[in-house]
Amino acid sequence: MAEFQPAGPAEIQDGEVDAVEVDGRRIAVANVEGTFYAFDDTCTHQGCSLGQGELDGTAVECPCHGSQFDVTTGSVLRGPAQDPVETFEAKVENGNLEIAL
Amino acid sequence: MTRGTFVVLGGGLAGATAVATLRNEGFDGRLVLIGAEHLPPYERPPLSKGYLRGEQAAERIAVRPEKWFGDQEIETRFGETASALDLGAGSVALSDADPIRFDALLLATGSRARRPAIPGADLSGVFDLRTLPDADEIRAAARQGARAALVGMGFIGAELAASLRSLGVEVTTIEHGKVPLRRAVGPEVGRVIEGLHRDHGVTMHLGRSVEGFDGAGRLEAVLLDENERVEADFAVVGIGAVPNAEIGADLGLGVDRGILVDAQLRTIDPRIYVAGDIASHDHPVFGRIRVEHFDNALRSAEAAARNMLGAGEPYSDPHWFWSDQYDMNLQLAGITTGYDDFVVRGSLEERSFAGFYLRDGVLIAAVSVNRAHDVRRSMRPIGRRVRPERSQLEDPEFDLRTLVPKRADRG
Repeated sequence: MAEFQPAGPAEIQDGEVDAVEVDGRRIAVANVEGTFYAFDDTCTHQGCSLGQGELDGTAVECPCHGSQFDVTTGSVLRGPAQDPVETFEAKVENGNLEIAL
Repeated sequence: MTRGTFVVLGGGLAGATAVATLRNEGFDGRLVLIGAEHLPPYERPPLSKGYLRGEQAAERIAVRPEKWFGDQEIETRFGETASALDLGAGSVALSDADPIRFDALLLATGSRARRPAIPGADLSGVFDLRTLPDADEIRAAARQGARAALVGMGFIGAELAASLRSLGVEVTTIEHGKVPLRRAVGPEVGRVIEGLHRDHGVTMHLGRSVEGFDGAGRLEAVLLDENERVEADFAVVGIGAVPNAEIGADLGLGVDRGILVDAQLRTIDPRIYVAGDIASHDHPVFGRIRVEHFDNALRSAEAAARNMLGAGEPYSDPHWFWSDQYDMNLQLAGITTGYDDFVVRGSLEERSFAGFYLRDGVLIAAVSVNRAHDVRRSMRPIGRRVRPERSQLEDPEFDLRTLVPKRADRG
């Protein structure tokens, strides 16, 4: 069982996505109506930062080539990406974000 | 229909996306994918970038792993073209086998590189860039210190210039227009691209024409107007693409550069659909257009495949593309044709900006250089033909998403 690690204050607004660094790894975090979802920041298509992308509901869209992933499961919603992104458990404790790698 | 036989003619991104979509949407009939190239479908954008620079291997640019086609029970005929199509019988004939009778057919034959009708164009060392073997040839010629002449400064020329510079190649470009990429992005952004390439040591001849290629058996120089010679070890011609739409005329489908289709990407023959570069489609926002970008190949193939299964959905994609050159990421959504006003957010000089193309006050397209957010957020407003205030467009703090009310957005 992965342990939760601190990922800074939970500042990401509802409807937004951003990237944080946890244990030397870039993790994207999306806020969907107050619930935080964490997933690998690196797009499985060509490696762009999903945290720099756009969030629409539970779909994050890669800023480079338009691939879409479901932030709740990591699955591909639209190509060109073929492979899902890894997802991680996330929670907020006392206003701070914690992510289990 | 989930049974029967569907044939997809064209082994590029559009063809591969169509067969994937058909299977994902539950089509479990016979599915045949025919491609003229011997390789399974691959993505072409890396051919001028990561693949050319040796950063991405061939298997990394495959649209699907080769094994996937077998797993999905898709019959592939790579390295083949249709020798005859019989609409009366509803069949397509290949060179080596009995005709395949189809219930629905998708045409996605893509484009080929335009070759200039000038002397010496067939010399060894004069390349164009369309296929993976083309990229391999250019890569082999792109030794450190080699001299490259690039004819045409569209996206192929501009991306190649950037990749070749990073490989240590001396690059000279010759472009007919006064500004690179003018037709695609307009002169304002074209000049930004010009500055970018000059800063990276590219020699640019703008407003010049190429009269021929000179060399004894192999290219030695490109000949310009006014008797100027550009000495070169190799040249790449990137002066546009010609749609492989002849098949449409052969079938009597109606062709105007591309094959004419309705908003659902269907031809006048209800069994036959078209996707990608060759689809001249009736767009709900932009009118009749034909688009040669990657994203259009992908999205139009998805839409055509769903419509082959009876979805009946119009293809209303905002038409979006990107280009990576050096450390610059350029994106553009919409169709810039006929714009009469251009509003900048950010700084052209610092190459960090978004630009908005307006026609009669309506937002018709948006471009970004290292500000991709603004283009993504402009897509829905473009689709809704909104009339934003100049001050809203200029203000980096203004959220473009709010140009379309949430409720209207869902409706």
